[in-house]
Amino acid sequence: MKFLFYLILVLLLVPLQTTLLPHLSVWSIKPDLGLVAAALVGIFAGELEGLLVGLAIGWVLNLFSAGELWLSLLTNGGVGILAGFLGRQLTLVTSISLGVGLLLVSLASGLFAAVSFTHLDLSQMWWMVESIALPQACFDGAVGAGLYWLLSQWFHVTRLRTE
Amino acid sequence: MWMAHSRSPYSARRIALACFALLLVALFLLPNQIQGLLQYLDGPVGHVVGVPLQAIASIDAGIANRWERYVALQGVQEENQQLRKEIEWLRGQHSQLREFSAATERLTALLQFKEQALPTMVAAQVIGRDATNRYRAIILNKGESDGIKPDMGVVTPAGVVGRVVKTTGASSVVLLVTDPSNSIPGLIQRTRDEGIVEGTQQGMARLKYIPLLSTLRDGDRVVTSGLVGGFPRGLVIGTITNIDKQEGALFQSAELMPEVDVGRVEEVLVIQMSYGQSTKVGAEADVTGKPSP
Repeated sequence: MKFLFYLILVLLLVPLQTTLLPHLSVWSIKPDLGLVAAALVGIFAGELEGLLVGLAIGWVLNLFSAGELWLSLLTNGGVGILAGFLGRQLTLVTSISLGVGLLLVSLASGLFAAVSFTHLDLSQMWWMVESIALPQACFDGAVGAGLYWLLSQWFHVTRLRTE
Repeated sequence: MWMAHSRSPYSARRIALACFALLLVALFLLPNQIQGLLQYLDGPVGHVVGVPLQAIASIDAGIANRWERYVALQGVQEENQQLRKEIEWLRGQHSQLREFSAATERLTALLQFKEQALPTMVAAQVIGRDATNRYRAIILNKGESDGIKPDMGVVTPAGVVGRVVKTTGASSVVLLVTDPSNSIPGLIQRTRDEGIVEGTQQGMARLKYIPLLSTLRDGDRVVTSGLVGGFPRGLVIGTITNIDKQEGALFQSAELMPEVDVGRVEEVLVIQMSYGQSTKVGAEADVTGKPSP
């Protein structure tokens, strides 16, 4: 049952991210739903599932992106495992703390991506951080916090976690 | 709000950490092998993921079509009048070009040029945009099973759109001409000076490495040079809008306005074989944009 849920999640993320989200982008920036989904799975289901689902999301989304595979695997898998660890260490998880965590992780991944573009000079790299990584991190944090809040309102979160 | 509590067994944590560490090591030590391994799965997975993607893309296109036909009709009358004027002007241009064409045919025959075959093209629809914000790329609904391979050129009848960088069984990713990671050999049509066209972060393009003695000027058209890459010679890339000539520099560069509005492109043609590679019998479409059935 869980496997089916994750399969549907990964399959639906692709059209959502590539076809529908460009219509909802703000200043040509759209949130990275793969990152948000990997973080939520990590928080709710633990490190191992967060890692595996994050890797699957990273790989499948990378099939529809011009980006490098290793960066996508590393970012999404890393977020899944990190969210699992943080979820265990924090005594109280709120939508705000999740949003801030996602903002920081997304910003770190954006910085890492900017540094990995070897053909960019320092000013271009800064432009990329300022115009893409930072707004996207804010977007990711807001979307993650909103989704977490919705999930915690609609479902009994403690039960979802212990199952 | 919810109180966290430990629920995964300790071994699961260790397995997760070990898997991630193993992945890190594998990605840094054997990047090509890992990519090669995953490429076997790319085709079938691409087909499976392509089903919901194409379904949602067609719903999206249907809604956009309805919107454009019935809702977003404000200002159509003015646009209509403008287009009528443009048609009149183009008719005049057309008759002039027919004269030139006839003259060129006569001269070509006179010089006994070897007849060049037209490139083979495949029509494809745009079904999405890059999954990340870091690249300017589009996703097409045709892939390896339709004969599309990386490095093939992508155009519309107006001009160059970009280059295929990745394919799965049923889809392909095209890096747009406006992406800073893209490079296409270009040629200034009037002066015949060559350079490299690269995208800019502002969503335009730039022709680099133009010889200092070049007499280029604003409004000059830049076309593909056909030297390398998947493009035949003479496809329009853009028009020069600004020239940058710096003191002491070895080359000059120029900003281009791309001929195709890549943000709104919906249908494209993928060049499967360039001039010289294709045969006239195999040609399924011509450069004026008539795709194969």
